[in-house]
Amino acid sequence: MEKNEFQQQGGEEWKRAGRQSNIDQHSSGVAYLETVIDNLPVGLFAKDASDSFRFVLWNKKQEEITSIPCEQALGKNDYELFSPDSAKYFRQVDELVIARKRKFEVSEEIIDTPESGEVWLHTIKVPIDDVEGQRTLVVGISEDITEQVHAREQLAALNENLTEANQQLQVTQMQLIQAEKMESVGRLAAGVAHEVKNPLALLLLGVEYLSGGIDPCDPNVEDILTEMREAVERADKIIRGLVDFSSQRQLAMELTQLPDLIEHSLLLVRHELKKGNVEVDACYEEGLPDLQIDCAKFEQVLVNLLINAVHAMEDRVKPKIEIQVSAAKLEGIERDEGLRTAHHLRNGDDVVLLKLKDNGGGISDENLQKIFDPFFTTKATGIGTGLGLPVVRKIVELHNGWIDVKNRLLGGVQITITLKVPKSEAERIDM
Amino acid sequence: MVRKILVVDDEVGFTKLLKMNLEKTGQYEVRVENESTKALTTAHEFLPDIVLLDIVMPGMDGGDVAAQMQDDPMLRNIPVIMMTALVSQEETSQDAVAQAGAMNILPKPVNLEVLLRCLEEAFASEAGE
Repeated sequence: MEKNEFQQQGGEEWKRAGRQSNIDQHSSGVAYLETVIDNLPVGLFAKDASDSFRFVLWNKKQEEITSIPCEQALGKNDYELFSPDSAKYFRQVDELVIARKRKFEVSEEIIDTPESGEVWLHTIKVPIDDVEGQRTLVVGISEDITEQVHAREQLAALNENLTEANQQLQVTQMQLIQAEKMESVGRLAAGVAHEVKNPLALLLLGVEYLSGGIDPCDPNVEDILTEMREAVERADKIIRGLVDFSSQRQLAMELTQLPDLIEHSLLLVRHELKKGNVEVDACYEEGLPDLQIDCAKFEQVLVNLLINAVHAMEDRVKPKIEIQVSAAKLEGIERDEGLRTAHHLRNGDDVVLLKLKDNGGGISDENLQKIFDPFFTTKATGIGTGLGLPVVRKIVELHNGWIDVKNRLLGGVQITITLKVPKSEAERIDM
Repeated sequence: MVRKILVVDDEVGFTKLLKMNLEKTGQYEVRVENESTKALTTAHEFLPDIVLLDIVMPGMDGGDVAAQMQDDPMLRNIPVIMMTALVSQEETSQDAVAQAGAMNILPKPVNLEVLLRCLEEAFASEAGE
């Protein structure tokens, strides 16, 4: 009976809706409404707030969702049907709906059902005054969103896997960079040993001279001591350079003057330059802004490019490397020049340009397309691994920079690295 | 009799100290040439009894200098001792030394005692010829 009373109370509403359809004209009130209610694709229920929130309406879908048949639900309250925790929560919401006299939406709630286990519901509850029955009802609509929730959970799990894979990729990238660097260290080691042996040779001669007894009037003594001190400093600088270079660290950006870094790198490859009889002409614009650079990694870039240049000029009579560093405002960047560029560098950005030119044989157009491909090398097996330039580009990208390699008109290669000036530095320059 | 030694090496500090050490013995007069491209001119001018030659130098390396000395009738017979701080075997092999026409090779850091003995041997063998 309760069910019918309720339906009559709300009947006006449904009848109005029903009149818009043709079926309504052939249906009779209550039976028709019962059919509609039972065929709703959502769970519909009503509780009597004036009677301990006992259920007075329980449609078919609600039976399906909760696995509780209508006969069992009507006349009972939440505590008699659900777990104490769930019931307590439902009751709190019901009381809120009654107290505030307005709609309340629970976007996600869980009920435990004997048949389907945990069921996720999206529920909306509204208070409805039953004037005739002199009571207040809490009417609720529940939608089974279990599938959506599961799908979302799966998506979250997938996303987590993806994040993990991405992190793994980043770790691998760092390892690749380090592996390539250790290879450079191997290549540099002989040269560095040579550079250290020369100061050692001087030291030994100094010791030989002085160990013969020191004559206070000998003008050579002071000279020798000065030379020895400088030799120690020189050897120390070279060895420290190599140790800094080979140290593995996470990306550690610090504000740095690019020319200082270039001079460091030139020291590391001094032996190779000397052996190849290479003239180096470095030209740094004055007052360059500091850049955010991971020094060890960027030295790897410079050492790599310098050694490549030396190799490229092996058959030249007057091998020469020109290095230019200048500040500029970026312009002429095409929007489609590459997603990465578009992301980090924009027209009007303050940048520092590093140009490194050699006068070697240049790169054939065919090879120019491939130089950044991993494992592409024109050097003999065992000499080049083909990882140098891909790693160079990776490191430049880690600095949000851009590297461009092209042939010079009069022979040789020009490499341009564009690095963005950090905002605070750019502001400082503008002032 | 004071012997004349020409040292060709781009390491300025090293050559300076080598000169001091050798001259301290009172047996040698030493001329230093830090620019290898000028080595032959200086050799012509100085006419040394022996040449100490570094291998790795910018411009012209020690091998080139030795080879040009071989081609020069004035300098052909001057003994050459090579010095090197190189570490790899191939670059310091006796073959390479022989090819360059040098009679000996000394690794850097150069042990003065060894160098002096080397010089004595060189002059002794020259005297014996």
